[in-house]
Amino acid sequence: MAELNDIANDFLKDEIEEFIERPNERTRIIDAFARATPAMQEISAALIDGDNGTVDTLTRAALDDGIEALEVMDDGLINGMSIVGIKFRENFIFVPEVLACARAMKAGMAHIEPILSASGIQPVGKVIMGTVKGDLHDIGKNLCIMMLRGAGFVVHDLGVDTSEDEFMDAVEEHEAPLVGMSALLTTTMPNMGKTIDAFIDNDMREDVKIMVGGASVTQEFADDMGADGTAEDAVGCVELANRLLVELKQEQEA
Amino acid sequence: MSDDLIREMKGRDRVLAALRREPVDRTPVCNPTSVATVELMDLVDAPFPDANRDPELMARLAATGYTELGFDSIMPVFTIIQESSALGCKIQWEQKDNWPTVKMREPIWEDVDDINVPSDFLTHQDTKCVLDAISLLKKEYGDEVAIIGKTMGPWSLGYHCFGVEPFLLMSLDDPGKTHLALDRMKEATVEFGIAQIEAGADALTLPDHATGDLVSGEYYRRFLRDLHIELVERIPIPLIMHICGRTVDRMGYIAETGFAAFHYDSKNKPQESMEAVDGQISLVGNINNPETLFARGPEEVTGEVCRNLEHGIHMVGPECAVPLQASIENLKAIPQAVKDWHRTHAA
Repeated sequence: MAELNDIANDFLKDEIEEFIERPNERTRIIDAFARATPAMQEISAALIDGDNGTVDTLTRAALDDGIEALEVMDDGLINGMSIVGIKFRENFIFVPEVLACARAMKAGMAHIEPILSASGIQPVGKVIMGTVKGDLHDIGKNLCIMMLRGAGFVVHDLGVDTSEDEFMDAVEEHEAPLVGMSALLTTTMPNMGKTIDAFIDNDMREDVKIMVGGASVTQEFADDMGADGTAEDAVGCVELANRLLVELKQEQEA
Repeated sequence: MSDDLIREMKGRDRVLAALRREPVDRTPVCNPTSVATVELMDLVDAPFPDANRDPELMARLAATGYTELGFDSIMPVFTIIQESSALGCKIQWEQKDNWPTVKMREPIWEDVDDINVPSDFLTHQDTKCVLDAISLLKKEYGDEVAIIGKTMGPWSLGYHCFGVEPFLLMSLDDPGKTHLALDRMKEATVEFGIAQIEAGADALTLPDHATGDLVSGEYYRRFLRDLHIELVERIPIPLIMHICGRTVDRMGYIAETGFAAFHYDSKNKPQESMEAVDGQISLVGNINNPETLFARGPEEVTGEVCRNLEHGIHMVGPECAVPLQASIENLKAIPQAVKDWHRTHAA
């Protein structure tokens, strides 16, 4: 097990010391950063700081130095986002700061994605995300997408006001095993259930796991709608997505 | 707050007294956002979306808050889109069973210099509709109940006109520019607010969604507290600040502004909220919408009303605009529970 002092970057050490309180997360994060090279730690630090210009420059430089794209993504960008997610969950930072970090992540991924897609490396998972029909609110959905991408998922964002057919067509087109639906309004929350019914009616329900979310969505509501799960926040969404992928795999192997 | 020696008050007097934190005969029932539901639309033949654009339909639907539900206030502005529509935002009007929404993915402003309150701001169909509806309601019900209008604060207008994410990023990247943007947008808030006073409003709700779901309490202090103090000075009528979501970390700052009341969400407990505002402003709320008013029955509604009354909340009502599919039965349970509670506690 690594120690905090095994991490070279002082900014990261301070961040962990100040913001990561849960022992299991602390251990996991210290281990991950201790394994990363100082150059990767520097990318993480810039990302946590929301400095997209520096992330852009350092990512390009790392790739030019011959570091593998996967290593830059995992040890630099994703490691950084893991701290951002925890700070957000614990209310140390709020949406503006997360948006800045996500912008930095995007700056780095702009260099990495073309390399990964050309090399055929499989993502952690594919997710279809959208706000349901009749609802134009998307900040919560977008935060979930940022965190999912920050955890290595490929996310196809259908935007807002998404019909049942658009969700189903996207699942077929991208062969995605996960769907995430969002709604803010009490008037549109039931459309999550209608979309799930459409998956059932079209014999597609067994092929996907479906997550629902929104400021007023509770576990009870998610169960009533027939969803496979909900999460309280964007970090929980990533944990849920990982768990549902494992469940789906187990079901398909059984 | 209530006093057994006070003679029975009219709804209007009850609300205005509660806004001044003066004694009342019983706790007023009031929703500073909206009590419009599909059932009520059918009852008076005033459906969405038309009831948001036609003053007569708007007034007719709003009046049901008093005539059918027995609330002490009438609020004709069912949505948060009227000013944004007049500023030039595109609106998705939807049908009877859904609220109109600003198309925030199609922002109208990119930079602070784009901000412009058009010369026809108050004569645009969607702002004029509110002014005309308030005039109609004042004429018909003005002596009986409090007519509450609504003028959106600049932070909310920022979401609508710049888009939520660009606006929030601007607040981080360039706080000075954000202050300037808020300063310019607040003129729309003041203009529409004063016009509603002239039309006959007794009080105004001022939604400004700096919610804990998006920004910190410190953000509220930094960007909005002083600006809200200025709005209180410039709009000479009791103002009810409304912010959805978790807000207890900023209620202390809100209480410093001079707002008459804060309309608070069920994510905040009555006791902690009362402690946070420390007697400086009234609190109104906070019956839960999605789980209680929408999905449960009158018994659960009564339970939540009583919890608020037991903690001394100054005005009771739904936490925000009630779900359009909420039942009349559940909404009527709110004033009934308030009256029963006071009867029991007076005995």
